[in-house]
Amino acid sequence: MSIIQTEDLTKIYRLNQKDPGVTGAIKALVRPRHRDLVAVDQISFTVAAGEMVGYIGVNGAGKSTTIKLLTGILVPTNGKVEVLGRDPHRQRVDNARQIGVVFGQRTQLWWDLALIESLNLIAKIYEIESSRYQFLLEQFSTSLGIKELLPIPIRNMSLGQKMRAELAAALIHEPQIVYLDEPTIGLDLIVKERIRDFIKQQNREKGTTVILTTHDLGDIEELCQRVIIIDKGKLIYDGPINTIKDRFGKFRTITFETCEPITQIKLPPGAEIITPDRHSEERKLALRFDRTITTASRVAAEVMNQVEVVDFSITEPDLPSIVKQIYGGALQGD
Amino acid sequence: MFHGMRRKASVYGAMASVIPKIYMAYSLWFWVSLVLNVIATTIFVFFWRAVYANTNSIAGLDLQQTLNYILLAQIFAPLGNMQLIFEFGYNLREGGIAHALLRPVDFQGSYYGQYLTTMVTELVLQIPLALVVTLVFKVQWPTDPRVWVAFIVSAFLGRTVLFFFDWILACLTFYTTEVWGLGVFVDGISMFFSGRLIPLTMLPPLLLVIAGMTPFAQAFYIPISLLSGVKPLSQAPRLWLLQAIWLVALWVLSRLIFRVAVRKVTVQGG
Repeated sequence: MSIIQTEDLTKIYRLNQKDPGVTGAIKALVRPRHRDLVAVDQISFTVAAGEMVGYIGVNGAGKSTTIKLLTGILVPTNGKVEVLGRDPHRQRVDNARQIGVVFGQRTQLWWDLALIESLNLIAKIYEIESSRYQFLLEQFSTSLGIKELLPIPIRNMSLGQKMRAELAAALIHEPQIVYLDEPTIGLDLIVKERIRDFIKQQNREKGTTVILTTHDLGDIEELCQRVIIIDKGKLIYDGPINTIKDRFGKFRTITFETCEPITQIKLPPGAEIITPDRHSEERKLALRFDRTITTASRVAAEVMNQVEVVDFSITEPDLPSIVKQIYGGALQGD
Repeated sequence: MFHGMRRKASVYGAMASVIPKIYMAYSLWFWVSLVLNVIATTIFVFFWRAVYANTNSIAGLDLQQTLNYILLAQIFAPLGNMQLIFEFGYNLREGGIAHALLRPVDFQGSYYGQYLTTMVTELVLQIPLALVVTLVFKVQWPTDPRVWVAFIVSAFLGRTVLFFFDWILACLTFYTTEVWGLGVFVDGISMFFSGRLIPLTMLPPLLLVIAGMTPFAQAFYIPISLLSGVKPLSQAPRLWLLQAIWLVALWVLSRLIFRVAVRKVTVQGG
């Protein structure tokens, strides 16, 4: 059963346009000019209860605007949005009771108060029954590792500590849907891992529906079975993550720094040279290989048998390159 | 219904209880503002003594009445403080408005609770100033409890009037997203027309009429006039009625304006 539905959802921002300098400012005062920016363009999708959906796209694609439309903070310019059978803007208060939100770049906690004071206040606002609140506080303290953070004011916390505190604040009232807008931005691997485990646990134990926007494909791979990709406000892919992974995630780039310029090299099947071309004097060699045909160790061993290697690194395809390929029609016919 | 009201009071009360905690998070500003207030009050007293040097009465008030009004105005200055324009502006600029709108509470109701609590907190913090003013400048506090009742009712009504007016102006920031100019302009107007600087009866007739047509006087001049005796107690019921009319009109207007303005919210960045 779908609990989130959007139909031709569109948001257009009206932006003031000013020429640079003082003259531009005066001109804008006398004759203001505007231009329309389509942030979300006729997006339609549904999300079922208990799903974990990755909502991805490059910066400015319209991810955060969509989240704000779903939460009821913004009003759509056109189209329809329904969350748990409600119009999230018109029925803002009722909707707010059932959802939790983390905006990775801003805090919902009270800056000057200790975390425990903020959580106590949230418990009051959401009218959580006292014994249930104590139970959840204990549970979250363990799973998010926030016990020692409880007496600390938010302003004194590190980014990783703050994000764990944010998650506790967003989920302590046990919402049916949680929107996570870049929750792992700027975090180290250990904190990321802890946060991912916590989200998985909430989904598994309480059936919480999760909408996750991120630039980190690791988050998506760990958490989501389904991804929605948008670009320039338009939905360009909605489907299983496996399709994306099979199609684009199978390639890796391996870059070698060599002692001598490479003129000729033999590669195992499934690997090909990206740069430099065969006649270059460069001491760097970038190869792309298909993980389903060969392995990183085989490629590395083959190269190392032929040339002296100073250093090497492996990278996976980044989100902008995947989006670019999809936008160019790379998924057509799949 | 009673249970529902109690629940709401508990939620809004909890949100409002944050205010004193935030004030207590920093102590330096308290001492700095106390020193500044003492200096400002001293200057006011010497200024008015100089003004009255060659006259016994201005606009029907003698030196002692004027000084009493001014001293009480200094002590009760938080009654006239406006905060929503800058607060909305800050929240819009920093994106905090998103989280404020995501709380499952009436947006205006939660701000109203905090507005009243801010006033009470600031009044409590004025106690040291009140002690200094009482000891040094011999301010005359009313002894008739009915005057205090009239003052408290009038201060509560006036504060509520000011809240709705502040709210309406703050809603403009949803359109402009720029608040500095508007905030400074309103602060300036409020300074003159609320009666924080001088008793309004001392204004030229035209300005007096204009001041009477603004909500600033309802929030500040009327309660302080009742407390200082500039307005007699017998006028209290008429003044309350006037304040209540302002309150209802601005409440309706503020709800309507917010309903339209909130559709214009733009949450900056990310």
